[in-house]
Amino acid sequence: MRNLTGLLFAGGLGFMLLAIASGIDFGSPPMRIGEAIQSASPQEVGAANIVTSVVLGYRGIDTLGELAILFAAASAAGLVLGRRHTTTGTQRKGGFVLFHGGALIFPFLLTIGFYIIFHGHLTPGGGFQGGVILAAAFFLPLLARPGARLHHSILSVIEAFAGASFILIGLAALAEGQAFLQPMLNQDTLGALISAGTLPLLYIAVGLKVGAELASLLSNLAQTESEQ
Amino acid sequence: MNNLVLTIALPLLGAFLLPVLMRLSQAIGLWLGPIILGYGCWLLGNLWFSDISLPLSIVIGGFDAPYGINLYLDSLALLFAFAVQLLGLICWPYALNQDTARRQALMLLLVAASTGLALSGDLFNLYVFYELAAVATFGLVAASTTSAAYAATFRYLILSGIGSVLTLLGIAMIYSQTGTLNLAHLAQLAPELLHDRLGLTAYLLILIGIGVKAELFPVNAWVPEIYATASSRLSGFLAGLLSKLALLIILRLLVLIFDQPEAVQIVLILGILGVVSGEFAAWRAKDMRRMLGFSSIGQLGIVFIALSLPDERGLLALLALSLHHLVIKTGLFMLADGWGGSLERLTGAAKRSPVGAALFTLFALSLVGVPPLPGFWAKFTLITELAAQSEPLYLIGLLVFLLATVIETSYLFRIVAKLYSSAGTTTEQPEHQHLPGLSLATASLFGITLLAATVLIAPIGDGLQAIATEAKNAELYIQTVMPVTPGGQL
Repeated sequence: MRNLTGLLFAGGLGFMLLAIASGIDFGSPPMRIGEAIQSASPQEVGAANIVTSVVLGYRGIDTLGELAILFAAASAAGLVLGRRHTTTGTQRKGGFVLFHGGALIFPFLLTIGFYIIFHGHLTPGGGFQGGVILAAAFFLPLLARPGARLHHSILSVIEAFAGASFILIGLAALAEGQAFLQPMLNQDTLGALISAGTLPLLYIAVGLKVGAELASLLSNLAQTESEQ
Repeated sequence: MNNLVLTIALPLLGAFLLPVLMRLSQAIGLWLGPIILGYGCWLLGNLWFSDISLPLSIVIGGFDAPYGINLYLDSLALLFAFAVQLLGLICWPYALNQDTARRQALMLLLVAASTGLALSGDLFNLYVFYELAAVATFGLVAASTTSAAYAATFRYLILSGIGSVLTLLGIAMIYSQTGTLNLAHLAQLAPELLHDRLGLTAYLLILIGIGVKAELFPVNAWVPEIYATASSRLSGFLAGLLSKLALLIILRLLVLIFDQPEAVQIVLILGILGVVSGEFAAWRAKDMRRMLGFSSIGQLGIVFIALSLPDERGLLALLALSLHHLVIKTGLFMLADGWGGSLERLTGAAKRSPVGAALFTLFALSLVGVPPLPGFWAKFTLITELAAQSEPLYLIGLLVFLLATVIETSYLFRIVAKLYSSAGTTTEQPEHQHLPGLSLATASLFGITLLAATVLIAPIGDGLQAIATEAKNAELYIQTVMPVTPGGQL
């Protein structure tokens, strides 16, 4: 009965969406805000990567909200998983290739992660993407040696201060008498590494927070799993 | 004036820092949250009494609407934002255990998200805050760490996830038609671009998606389980406030963008179904918290019926019913803190806790709508408004509403009778159920608020009328957010 209702619901929804989609003319979306931002953002924000100027400039508070969602998810997972804490290391160690390959690749992952974060205002990428690569770099040793532990206290300190500095940069603009999260500092030459004012700083904060958060979440999961 | 954003930014800042601060010094950590929320209350309370002319729009990031994101503050938004901060302070998880830091951080996130929901003037920004509130709620409910709580959270997670996807789909459809996300800009474009089949579908998707939090009829299966397993303080916050904030979003959409008869009709129908299903389920419930959960579904159904009324008096009824339900339901959940479990165990509880029983009776009387209490005026406004409508669907709404009141009376006073019955059964359970002092004090606070509202009913009614008139004025909203019409190519 329940399956049937589910099937009916899904079928009805699918039919409705198809009927609706047939009414949309593809290929000519109205770009009211999009075009205005495209033409104005290089002068207004000064970031060569227009996506970044939207993510951190025009819609900065959305990004803050996303950071908070990630933090909430990590905290919630910590609440559910965090109780069992005696790692017994019953899992086998990773093989020779994984172990040394991980050690070899670690510095490269760090480099590329930080590169993507630092160049977020110039090229595709940015804090979220770079942060995930950083987290992967720190998680790799855990895969190779299941008994190893990350320093949760250090990670949580990094995470807390990275998140706080994002808000504090926003509040600094407020203290200057401007709007919350308004881009500040000198815009400099479009396309230079040091340009676009506070945007790169915001992305560094995002990258560190995402990296630390995901790394501690992954190691939390790994520890819980290794007990079962 | 830009300070308004602090009511969102400071709770977020506090939440990020709390886990570390708590390790450094427990005293600082414990005081951080209440201080931030207290400051938020002070800030918003100051705004209420200052002579700044509302409504006003505050841009974030320094980009004018509709390019950037703006906060929109009218009396309605201010009222709800203040209620969020205050109720966050009242429902704060004061109890200490090993997860205090995490739970308090999540509570701060929930307050920040709820404030954002009350204030934001951008459709996608509303969605982000809505998601944040949802994720924070998952964590807080699962923090009870019983298997029943996990099961309830899982069901909530699935339903809420479906709701989020539907909402996002609706927002995407709106964006594909209009190319903008700012509510005021959308309000300007809607008559031309969104008043068609596609627009209505987008509205329906958002209604169902947001309706998950507003306990709307087909997507409220999570309600009884969550309220039965989560801590009473959290249930009070969710039932009392978060549901109203979801309602506020739907109200804004209806007033600004989907000002069409079909859009209103669907709200009315779903509201009627919610009343019927919720009240009957509450009547059959055997457990205090579950009963409150189902009754909350019924009450919100009534609020949805009020939402479907066309004019300002209808909005007045909506506001009165929402605020009344906020006070009553939060108070009742505080009482349920000690009185959870089977209803049979409440026999003769009035002897052990006379204040609690008196408060329960007071809340029940007002919820049913006995004349001098505020509940009567709220319901009375709704009845006169419904009776004044000519469409037959509204009359069905009226009938269902009256029937619901009868059922409500029946199940609430069954409990009152049980509370005051002189325990005839000698085989009474040895476990006396005591109300924790903190919960009783909080519930008394709501009782006093209710009595104060009874005395001050006339000025409160006038104030709400003014708020309703202001909130119903779509033109004012557009003018406030975008004093200059955006350039030609828009």
